[in-house]
Amino acid sequence: MKSKLLLPLLPLTAALALGAAPAAGAEISPTAAANMANNCFACHGPDGRSPGTMPSLHQLTAQNMTALLKQFKTGERPSTVMGRHAKGYSDAEIEALAEYIAGLQK
Amino acid sequence: MSRINRRDFMRLVGGAGAASALGVLGHVPVARGKSGGQVVVIGGGFGGATCAKYLRKADPGIAVTLVERDPRFITCPFSNLVLGGLRTMDSITHGYDALRTRHGVNVVKDEVTAIDPVGKKVTLKSGKTLKYDRLVVSPGIDFKWGAIKGYDPKAAQVMPHAWKAGPQTVLLRKQLEAMKDGGTFILATPPNPFRCPPGPYERVSMVAHYLKASKPKSKILILDNNDKFSKQGLFQKGWEELYPGMVEWVAGSKGGVVKAVDTKTMIVKGELDDHKGAVVNIIPAQTAGQLAIKAGLTNETGWCPVDPKTFESTIHPGVHVIGDSSIAGELPKSGFAANSEAKICANAIVAMFRGDSVADASYVNTCYSLLAPDYGISVAAVYRVTDKGITSVEGAGGVSPADASRGFRQDEAKYAVGWYQSITADIWA
Repeated sequence: MKSKLLLPLLPLTAALALGAAPAAGAEISPTAAANMANNCFACHGPDGRSPGTMPSLHQLTAQNMTALLKQFKTGERPSTVMGRHAKGYSDAEIEALAEYIAGLQK
Repeated sequence: MSRINRRDFMRLVGGAGAASALGVLGHVPVARGKSGGQVVVIGGGFGGATCAKYLRKADPGIAVTLVERDPRFITCPFSNLVLGGLRTMDSITHGYDALRTRHGVNVVKDEVTAIDPVGKKVTLKSGKTLKYDRLVVSPGIDFKWGAIKGYDPKAAQVMPHAWKAGPQTVLLRKQLEAMKDGGTFILATPPNPFRCPPGPYERVSMVAHYLKASKPKSKILILDNNDKFSKQGLFQKGWEELYPGMVEWVAGSKGGVVKAVDTKTMIVKGELDDHKGAVVNIIPAQTAGQLAIKAGLTNETGWCPVDPKTFESTIHPGVHVIGDSSIAGELPKSGFAANSEAKICANAIVAMFRGDSVADASYVNTCYSLLAPDYGISVAAVYRVTDKGITSVEGAGGVSPADASRGFRQDEAKYAVGWYQSITADIWA
């Protein structure tokens, strides 16, 4: 189990080390970002707070979430369903929806 | 390598928590100030309850009244798990207290008898009238009784549909419990489109799970109206692995279409053969909810045409139809889709009240199905609005891999339960 936990962290750490990702595409309005992000809560709970067996999102930073989603998208990080979801968004959209979720009232 | 799990997330959070202030600074709230506006929402299910809550979240200046006939809502999702003996009815029942107290929704237990889209008001059974600036209608489905000869509401007391969760679910479960070992459970599927495309096959799986443990000589016969079904390869592979020899599937073109039933002899008449069942589950052909039909919101298909970006009726302006009753392009009729549509609809209504342009819509559907308590599969898609309406994004989505390990199926079973916990909290908590 230990190795299972540690391995996926490496690419993320690398992504974080690069610093802040470029700002979300200016053409994505906050409401458009909300329209994408609100879908996440059906599985990850209200505002990303999961009451059950799904991972929560509400304590992830925008950079963190962006890095994860991009890794799911490329398949660099294996997943059950997240890869199938992440492929539905451009990188700019991923950044915008991650900003939105991370910015919700804690 | 590993799929990410909850503990991965906790570790990530622990390591990067200090950076969270950036996220807060970057946040631009969607709702600014008060726009006012009166919205009446009809129906407190996956569509209606979500829309009511998200309207209030996006703009607390909007007054939202939710009209719901029942004091509590029993979900169709996970009602198959009740049939399989994995869940109680209580565990799939949700109340409206949080919508009232936490989100400031005026929940009215009543029934809408008429909609006046010109006068912008609805009439309730109690005699009251509610005025609205915008109306959201989310009445779910109703059945086309009579499409199968002999199948009417009375026959459904003998051969349940159990396609609206509640007493019908309990009835079917009791019949399965009373069934003798060696009996045949017959499930007949409806023509497309219908609520929850993978639902009949998850039901078969859950019944098989129960029968395998309690009545292992029993058989399951699926009389299918169609020639293919949702997640077919995954379901059939799973049945072979988990319930070998128990499930027989008859395609529509091979005699699966049901023409008539006889509740006295428990005979189901197909185009080619008659079948006798110990327990018979007929899932009838479906239409939009009666209220939508009565209000003139349906077209010749029996469903409600809507604008793909706002879910505003293309027949009656000012009235939005969400959930199973709507014609939502490639989105299926599912609780997940209704939840997704409701949120887009809510933000569109907020924008319309403010005179803003309506933002681009983005929809998601994910349907988990349980084949056994530790065996789950899924189908997912992301949807956008194109000139062809609501269309799934190419290259994204799809079903669980055919060659996945049992560990993968176990994870998806775990996530199926997590999904239920999350979406019901997203709606009713």
